[in-house]
This record gives sequence, structure tokens and C-alpha cells, in this order.
Amino acid sequence: MLTTNERERYDRQITIKGFGQEGQEKLKRARVVIAGSGGLGSPSSIYLAAAGVGKIRIVDHGSVELSNLNRQVLYWDEDIGNKKVASAIDKLKRLNPAIEIEAIEETITEANVSRLVAGFDLVVDAMDNLPTRYLLNKAAVDRNIPFFHGAVYGFEGRAMTIIPSKTACLECIYHGATIPEEKFPVIGVTPAIIGCIQATEVIKYIVGIGELLTNRLLVYDGLNLKFTELKVKKDPNCKHCGHLGREDRK
Amino acid sequence: MSVKIDIPSYMKSFTNNKGVLEVSGSTVGECLNHLVKQFPQIKKQLFSKAGNLFENIIISINGESAYPEQLAKPVKDGDKLKIVLVVGGG
Repeated sequence: MLTTNERERYDRQITIKGFGQEGQEKLKRARVVIAGSGGLGSPSSIYLAAAGVGKIRIVDHGSVELSNLNRQVLYWDEDIGNKKVASAIDKLKRLNPAIEIEAIEETITEANVSRLVAGFDLVVDAMDNLPTRYLLNKAAVDRNIPFFHGAVYGFEGRAMTIIPSKTACLECIYHGATIPEEKFPVIGVTPAIIGCIQATEVIKYIVGIGELLTNRLLVYDGLNLKFTELKVKKDPNCKHCGHLGREDRK
Repeated sequence: MSVKIDIPSYMKSFTNNKGVLEVSGSTVGECLNHLVKQFPQIKKQLFSKAGNLFENIIISINGESAYPEQLAKPVKDGDKLKIVLVVGGG
């Protein structure tokens, strides 16, 4: 049940056709892990908190640096030197005191990834490197948790929604491809767009409306302001999900 | 045979700032070789010294991933190729 305060807070989205109080109650019951609290994690956590997702877990091990501030909008000048999760939880709680926000200051590894996503309904991929994305993808597939991928470089962005056992996963598209570890260039508006697309997908999935970004990698080219799609199929030989359901192979 | 190939923005500096180019070939590999012939500087963006397509490059044919064995995939007149880079930043 929504409180009077909640009905007023979320009035403008409750009135969206197909959303309603029922959709809002689903958001209130939802538990979402946001893996990474940087350029992608900032917008996705802000909009998921604002939308009323009932429980948000943020996982990040970093501290706020001056060079983060061009894109990581959860952090302000006064936060430099503080732990990101501490600053994030402070901002998000002030944005929406009615939801539960949990911050975990850990580096995501093969040893802890399963524990970090256990007990949650969805995982948002807001990482800054591919190896950890693959760890999260596998953990989400193994635990049958929908996984919302996003990644950026410069003015370029990618996004895809993964429903384990039903749709192509990250490994199905990228096959473990790696890129040299480097200080990647990025303008803040790129993760803002991709992070908001991830949040959009999360909200749609929880509420049960619209068509998800599954089996298609969204390719965003900010310099030409073009969105294109790369159609992908679930790989029956995928190392992460090949052993799972076959619904989309008909 | 004419095939169009879409060059990502970050590679346009290697193609005289052209975003869509015409190439010819009966496979993805032949089309990329024709692209390199026209714009030799793009080769290092696509292929390793051993001549293999970098693993962080996905080629799409008419919007669909050409993986696996991307270079061997046949193309036909009028097909549209696109070079998509795997990115990992956040």
C-alpha cells in the first residue's frame, strides 16, 4: 500500500497509462543492486531513487576525486576525498528519505560477486571495466537475476537488457573481449544518457510495461546524435548462459 | 558489387572525416580489405600486426552481429556493414 505522501510524491508517474498505483507498489517492493557509483551509477541511482525503488544497494570501492566531477553528478566539490558510497548514500537519502539505501564499500571480485547480488531482484551494470562486467553478468545469469548493461567511451554509449535464460547475455555479444586498461575519455552527458536508459529499462521491467532492450545492443553515437541497434542472439555455446533455457531459439 | 560501411565517429579521422563509405567484396573480410586499401591508416584500428580483427571490434551486417568468424561472412550487393567498438567505460 502506498502512503498519502507516496501517492503525492509519485503522482506524475502513477498517472502514466499502464503504470498506476500497482506499478508504484511494484517499484516500492523492488530491490536493485547498482554495481558502480560513478558516471553511470550516478544518474541511474538518482532516477531510481527518485522513482521510488524500495531498496537500492550501491557497491563501489572508490573515493571521490576532482577528475570524477565532470560526469559523476552524485558528487560535488565538497565531497572530494570522501568515500563515494558515503557521499552517494547521503545525497540519495536526502533526495528520497522514504526508500532504503544501502552502500557497500567493496571491490567486486569473483569471490564476492555472488554474495553482493544475492537477495536482490535486478542488477545494474554501472562498472568502469569489462572484466568486472563479465563477473556480474555471470553472477546474474547464475542467479537468474535480470541484468542491465551500460558502457561508455567518449561520446559513445552502449546499453542492453539481459533476462537470463531468455535473452542474449553480455558474453553472448562480446565473447569475453577485452580492451586495454586505460584512463578512458568521456564527457559527462554520455553516461548521463546511458545511465538514464538503464534506469528506464529497470523501471519498465519492474512495472511490467513497454518493450525491453533485449537481444539488441543499443549503440549511441553522441557526435552524430544517432541511436542504432545491433541485433544479437543468445549463443547456444555461450560460456555464461549457453546451458540455460532455449525459449528464444525457436 | 556495392556495399556500404558505416564508420564510427572516433575512426572518421582515418577516413577523411567520411562516415559512410562504399566498399566492394564478397565477404566482410574482403570489404574491410577494400576499406583499408582506400584508407590505409585505418588498418591499425581494425587489425592486429598478425592481421587478425581486434577482438573488441564487432561487424554488423544489416544490423545483425556477424560473429563468429566475422571476416568470412558473405555479403551481397546492397548490404550495409557497421563497425561497432566494444566499450567498457563507466
